[in-house]
Amino acid sequence: MVNVEELRNCVRNGIDFVKRQKDVIDAEVFASWNEHITVRLNYTSDIPCNGVHEPKSTQFSGIGLLVIFKAGKEIKIGFGSVSNNITPKGIKEAFQKAKRNKVYDPDFKSLPVPTGKPILENYHDNAVMEISDAAIVDLGWQGLKGAITEYNQKRFNKSIIVGGDVTIIKERMAIASTKGIDNFDESSILTTNITSMIEKERVKGTGWNISTHLSGFNPEEAGCESAESAIKTMGGERISSGTYNVVFGRQPVTDLFTNIVIPALSLSSLNASDTPFLGKLGRKIASELLTVYDDGSIRGAIGSKKISCEGIPTGRTELIHNGFLVGFLANNYLSKKLENIFASFIPRNGFRYYNGGRSHNIQPKICPTNIVIESKEEIPAQSLLSKINDGIYIGRIWYTYPINGLAAGDFTSTIIADSYLVKGGKIDKPLKPNTVRINNNIVDILNNIIAVSKEKKQTTVWGGEEVVIAPEIAVQNVKLDNISGFIS
Amino acid sequence: MGEDASISFGIRMLAGEMSAWGHFGQSIGEVESNPQRINKILIRGINTAYARAIANANRKAEFKTFAPSLAAVNLARIDVCKDTVNAVFDENPRDVSLKDILTLCTKISGDMHDVSKDVQYTYIDVHTIVNRELFCSTEGACIDQSYALTQGKVSVVAQKAGGIPEVCYDYVGDLRGWEVLKGKNAYKQSFGDFALLRTRETLELTEAEFLQATNEPVVVVTNPHFNTLLVHEIVGHPTEADRVLKLETAYAGRSWLFRDFNDNELGKQIASPLLTAYSDPSANGYGHYKYDMEGTPGKRVNLIENGILKGFMNGREYAAILNHSPNGSMRATEPHYVPIVRMTNTVFANGNRPPEEIISEVKEGYYIVNHRIPSISESRENFRISAQKVYKIENGQVTKLYRRGGITADSKDFLMSIDAVGNDFEVFPIPNCGKGQPMQVMRVGNGSPTLRSRARLTGH
Repeated sequence: MVNVEELRNCVRNGIDFVKRQKDVIDAEVFASWNEHITVRLNYTSDIPCNGVHEPKSTQFSGIGLLVIFKAGKEIKIGFGSVSNNITPKGIKEAFQKAKRNKVYDPDFKSLPVPTGKPILENYHDNAVMEISDAAIVDLGWQGLKGAITEYNQKRFNKSIIVGGDVTIIKERMAIASTKGIDNFDESSILTTNITSMIEKERVKGTGWNISTHLSGFNPEEAGCESAESAIKTMGGERISSGTYNVVFGRQPVTDLFTNIVIPALSLSSLNASDTPFLGKLGRKIASELLTVYDDGSIRGAIGSKKISCEGIPTGRTELIHNGFLVGFLANNYLSKKLENIFASFIPRNGFRYYNGGRSHNIQPKICPTNIVIESKEEIPAQSLLSKINDGIYIGRIWYTYPINGLAAGDFTSTIIADSYLVKGGKIDKPLKPNTVRINNNIVDILNNIIAVSKEKKQTTVWGGEEVVIAPEIAVQNVKLDNISGFIS
Repeated sequence: MGEDASISFGIRMLAGEMSAWGHFGQSIGEVESNPQRINKILIRGINTAYARAIANANRKAEFKTFAPSLAAVNLARIDVCKDTVNAVFDENPRDVSLKDILTLCTKISGDMHDVSKDVQYTYIDVHTIVNRELFCSTEGACIDQSYALTQGKVSVVAQKAGGIPEVCYDYVGDLRGWEVLKGKNAYKQSFGDFALLRTRETLELTEAEFLQATNEPVVVVTNPHFNTLLVHEIVGHPTEADRVLKLETAYAGRSWLFRDFNDNELGKQIASPLLTAYSDPSANGYGHYKYDMEGTPGKRVNLIENGILKGFMNGREYAAILNHSPNGSMRATEPHYVPIVRMTNTVFANGNRPPEEIISEVKEGYYIVNHRIPSISESRENFRISAQKVYKIENGQVTKLYRRGGITADSKDFLMSIDAVGNDFEVFPIPNCGKGQPMQVMRVGNGSPTLRSRARLTGH
């Protein structure tokens, strides 16, 4: 394990070294240490299994160096990195690579300059940073215990599946540049997502728990929640294809935002002309009931960071305000490249997420932090059902993709769990999982929002980098198709 | 632009009375690749993996009365191998200069923009590498396997003034050297020509009408490139033994082919008798290798024979549970990750009908050309896959071009409705198959000839 002081010394020494080198105009030194631990669960009551399938981790550390060289009348940019070596020799090696890799880039303007003061300080949990192997393994078994106990208590002990994981992410980084940036960050993240099933009943339930601190983390509760949800959806019915009013639960809201909405609100998509919001800045793109922003400075939220991987303090970036498109997520490179074409966006979202941590061997891309979804007229979650009166409550969707490319806005997804028919403003019968495909356009979904719930919960989805502080959302006129008739 | 080397290792340990897994992986630097330093790091990794395995085994034993299906890990027996496999290439990736790569990328990008002022954005990514994997086990295996990989990715966005952008991305690649980008690839054309072809096709699409969805199935002829993604999604994934055994329930999903040991599709008709599908790591393509990451020799697995489901891709632990022979399908994207069951070169087998003849027999239908984006239901029982291009077929002739179309169907209905299989088999690279937790993005080979079946059209 590498501590923050060692990383800070590395980047400061790195800047001192680079400043002494010939033809260097500017430079940025990034150093990090990360550990990504996953305790994977697999319990199958009717198939021999391991319960906790495997406790595993990947650890990586190193230096990434971005150098701006003078090359005649031009400037050239070079990036070099070394792994597991934050010594002066590592700096030298990274510099040699940057020098060898340098290239003329007409779109590069300049390195970030220091701006503002970070909101978050000292927000990580030392107990997570120092957690033992036995304690890691135990967290997985706690999740399993929660689910199996709930099933056993309700007298279900055959055809049970419990899957998912407990994930622990430890991140430390430091950054210094010739522009005056000199800062560091340290964070801890704990998540558990548990899916369980009574397979012969074709029901599936989901439970999750998220925290930055070990003391607030409860995998057992998530396991129990998944089993409760599965049991509640027994006896599900099919629906016929058609257009329905729906309430999207927190997981579907998160899935839609992680896979469709937020990628479309990134400057990288704007730069590639690959967003349905091209040319829409300042215009209405959604129901006036919708406000969306990214905020990496919320204490206790697992997407929070003190600074970006470019050394910029995190903060609130408005994206959609009362239905109007007001911003895009940005890093330094694209913010400066596009400021004279579109508008100036504060580059708070330049992160080097890779392999489950802040990686030294890639340059900053644009990544969301905590996506907050709000409304000027929020109502209690229970009231959403009366807003749609008759329709569907959708609790979990899967494989949500922009099926005709992001610019088209068309997406599709299937409903796989935790869902119900709604009648007269109340939950009626469960919806049979894996029998409905959603086929819609995201622009229509955003414009057809009719209510947003007051209650919100931090939610993540498989493969997503961000956390969505997700409400439930009622949407009218959603096209649903009855599928997989042969399964029944 | 960059030239670099990276090294990492993974320790996968089985330990404890009721044996259980423990794992530790780490990336290391070149400075640590000398025997003394790497020895120290490996021992630390072994100790961590061991501590986790022991803690896990102890807890498993404690839980056994509470959860009776918990069992010690049992690995199917394999021949323990010692072997060296060399990388195959005509032009060594290590001899290709950064300058040459940069020149190629900037030239292709410039050429693409020169095709039309309506080309709004181009993106070219080229890499050429040599990868070396060492596998050693306490059983005595010692395998030193290398391969070359060269890939070019092209992405283009075209837009008429005031129109809606059309986006295309595609790959050229193979497990060979720099010659891949000069024409030794599935397309039999240079990367530059391939990029220009995709650019012109994208431009053509900006003027095409949007396809309208249908409520009922229609006759569709799907070309080999489209079927590459189709076989990947509706045959490859549901025949992975870890999905079959429910290990992916929380992530990539289960398989409709296997409910339980007494209720499954093995030995049953799940596709037209005209259809055969197999997975073969010994064939050329992105899924080629000699040994998997458990040291098992990779074998051809017949998945579907004349429409009958025959088997699954597996690893040693899953083979033992299913009482099947291990077939060497366990891979990790990088050594510091745990291997999982992955497709190899997973394909619909070649048929005997010329594709032109298959189209000429269609009075009214649609020709679905080149895959784009998939969305598959949880157990792979239903799919929607978009195509780059869709053409109307009228009286045996390919006529009008449409954009933003695709097809959707229940997997079994589509497979059972296949009534023609072409003789134009081809394997294409799929470089970005996501699976596992943490997500591992794997290269696999998929392929197919032309097929004719029935599906609903999807549109914009």
